[in-house]
Amino acid sequence: MTSASTLKLRREVVNALALGFTALATGLGLIALVWILLSVVIEGVRALHLSLFLRPTPPPGSSGGLANAILGSLEMMGLAILIGTPLGILGGTCLAERRSWLRLAMAIRFLNDILLAAPSIVIGLFVYQGVVRPFHHFSGLAGAIAMAIILVPIVVRTTDETLRLVPPALREAALALGAPVWRMTLAVLYPAARAGILTGVLLGVARIGGETAPLLFTALNSQYFSFDLRAPMANLPVVIFQFALSPYETWHQLAWAGAFLITLFVLVLNVTARFFLGRGRK
Amino acid sequence: MTEAALARDVSRPAPGQTVRIAIQNLNFYYGETHALKNVTLDLPDRTVTGLIGPSGCGKSTLLRVLNRIYDLYPGQRATGRVMMDGENIIAPDIDVQTLRRKIGMVFQRPTPFPMSIYDNVAFGVRLHERLSRADLDERVEWSLSRAALWDEVKDRLRSSALGLSGGQQQRLCIARSIAVRPEVILLDEPTSALDPVSTLKIEELIDELKEDFTLVLVTHNMQQAARCADQVAFLYLGEVVEVGPTAQIFTAPRQRRTQEYITGRFG
Amino acid sequence: MERAEHIVKSYEQELKRLSDMIADMGGLVENEIALATEAVIERDTEAASRAIETDPKVDVLEREIEQFVIRLLALRQPVADDLRKIVAALKITADLERIGDYAANVAKRSLVLAAHTLPFNLTGIAHMARMVQENVKTVIDAVGTIDAAKAIEVWRSDQAVDDIYNTIFRELITYMIEDPRNITPCAHLLFIAKNLERIGDHATNIAEKVHYVATGETLPESRPKGEDPAYAASTRTS
Repeated sequence: MTSASTLKLRREVVNALALGFTALATGLGLIALVWILLSVVIEGVRALHLSLFLRPTPPPGSSGGLANAILGSLEMMGLAILIGTPLGILGGTCLAERRSWLRLAMAIRFLNDILLAAPSIVIGLFVYQGVVRPFHHFSGLAGAIAMAIILVPIVVRTTDETLRLVPPALREAALALGAPVWRMTLAVLYPAARAGILTGVLLGVARIGGETAPLLFTALNSQYFSFDLRAPMANLPVVIFQFALSPYETWHQLAWAGAFLITLFVLVLNVTARFFLGRGRK
Repeated sequence: MTEAALARDVSRPAPGQTVRIAIQNLNFYYGETHALKNVTLDLPDRTVTGLIGPSGCGKSTLLRVLNRIYDLYPGQRATGRVMMDGENIIAPDIDVQTLRRKIGMVFQRPTPFPMSIYDNVAFGVRLHERLSRADLDERVEWSLSRAALWDEVKDRLRSSALGLSGGQQQRLCIARSIAVRPEVILLDEPTSALDPVSTLKIEELIDELKEDFTLVLVTHNMQQAARCADQVAFLYLGEVVEVGPTAQIFTAPRQRRTQEYITGRFG
Repeated sequence: MERAEHIVKSYEQELKRLSDMIADMGGLVENEIALATEAVIERDTEAASRAIETDPKVDVLEREIEQFVIRLLALRQPVADDLRKIVAALKITADLERIGDYAANVAKRSLVLAAHTLPFNLTGIAHMARMVQENVKTVIDAVGTIDAAKAIEVWRSDQAVDDIYNTIFRELITYMIEDPRNITPCAHLLFIAKNLERIGDHATNIAEKVHYVATGETLPESRPKGEDPAYAASTRTS
């Protein structure tokens, strides 16, 4: 065998080995992912029934639903979105648009990224210290605030990046017609960046929908339907936490159902976000 | 033709007789970089002034001084005088938004706003004037006709501007600029992103527009300046090397550097 | 020939202006030849002076057209048929200007000739002058409409002009031999005939340019030429 063909053989062997290892690793990852999803889906679907959405969480041992937890989660998420989205979009806009902040902007982006990656339990503790303790009780409001604090950096980041992708000529074209900066931002910039900003909000909501740790210290949980944000409020993640660790079979089933619902929620939001992003790119 | 344009016809002297904008000793800085050095140039009324020169010579910079678009960027500043209607338009106390109504700009890449064709053209008008619905419709039609686009879009004014071809989008941007009835239109390499036929259509448009507006055309394509401009200014390293009637510049330029540039002998 | 118009209308207008200027020049030249011919045949001194006065106008037009062509080349960067047309315009006006000069020469000689009485008639010269006028008119029409067929017609008929020139040449020699008193007027007539023949050659030049503009191809080098009486065996440069 000539040295050329030896080299060739060695190359082919190495190539095959490398491909084999990557396939194996991918396979392992996929297996784990599919296993988790299948478990959630199988157990969750098994526990699905209409009363999930009609009856509140039951006392130990009896059957019931998750209605109050779903309602509570929706209330707190709604408030969090209301607080966090405008703050996030405005913050992202300032970062992207104020040219005089150039060096400050780098620092702010860095801080924002840290906040993005902050463990949600730390945020929960912070809100506990700042809102729960002064008022002397857990509340839905505190939960909403914690969720908003998680939401804001996500929206800031995506708004900032999306706006920076808009070509400067578009801004200049609007200003060159005599538009004031706010008008240019509202009438031209936001519509041009609409897809990206919306995606950011949707992904943020998907994230906060599943967070448990912050709610443990802030909203806690409750057995009742409630619209009172100043009191503890029922929510899905904490319910799952409690019910999963309990010894009761009915509670386990409800926990699986809850996990399935949250997974479905996150999945739908992600797909919707991707759909909007795809449309925006055209 | 609109009433205003008709009125202008009666009282105005012939094109090229008066100076619409007089640039005097203009210096421009990007931070520490001295980009324009003592530029003095007259822009005669209702003519096309072409600005040519190699990359980085300052022609786009000069254009962007005229509508104060550099205000957007900190660290960019201009000194000197740019006189229009008796005022120095680079002075800090000038109302920039009114200035930008009088001096419009068309960019290198077409920049349609993400809205309908109608709204695109009406955008500038709504900023500065309160027109009735009928008047606004008429203004939009007038602008699109002047920009040679009306026939192609009159049945889909409500559809998105992003659905037009490149050449059509650029004509839309021109329609948008003229809708506010400016006096001067700045064109920054308006055809460099377009195919040859669209380019020629826009050159024909420039010929027609100069009946009513004063145009300044920056182009890196000298032949376009030769075809379209009435006077040509050659810039090099931030200075005006030579300015003169187009025929003279392209048949017998006075400066050696001008000749070297236009014949393609530049090192 | 059906052609679409240029997208940029001012270019179209400039090309039309060029056409018009050449047509004007052609008209002036045709007129000059007609006047000069009349001056010779009818011994009309007034026609001669008018012909001589027209020539400077022809020269002025030639310079104007030249300047205009240079401007067109610099500012419009013409290609293909536009380029052929514009460059041909330059050369055609040079030919037209020479034709004008020859016509003026004929007119000047006619003044001198008018002082002599002629024992013979000038039917030969009159015929040649008519032929040449005809050719010049046809070729100028061909320039206006870029008509290759007409151009070829003129190109071919140069032979007939040369033939008649040779006939006149021999005829005049005969008269000169017959009677020495005829020598002076015949000498003038010889020059007049020669000038007419040169006009015919320049008309053929123009025809060749028109053919090139119309088709992009040049006509063959050796055009149909009559037998040259002066140089029997040597070749002639056009």
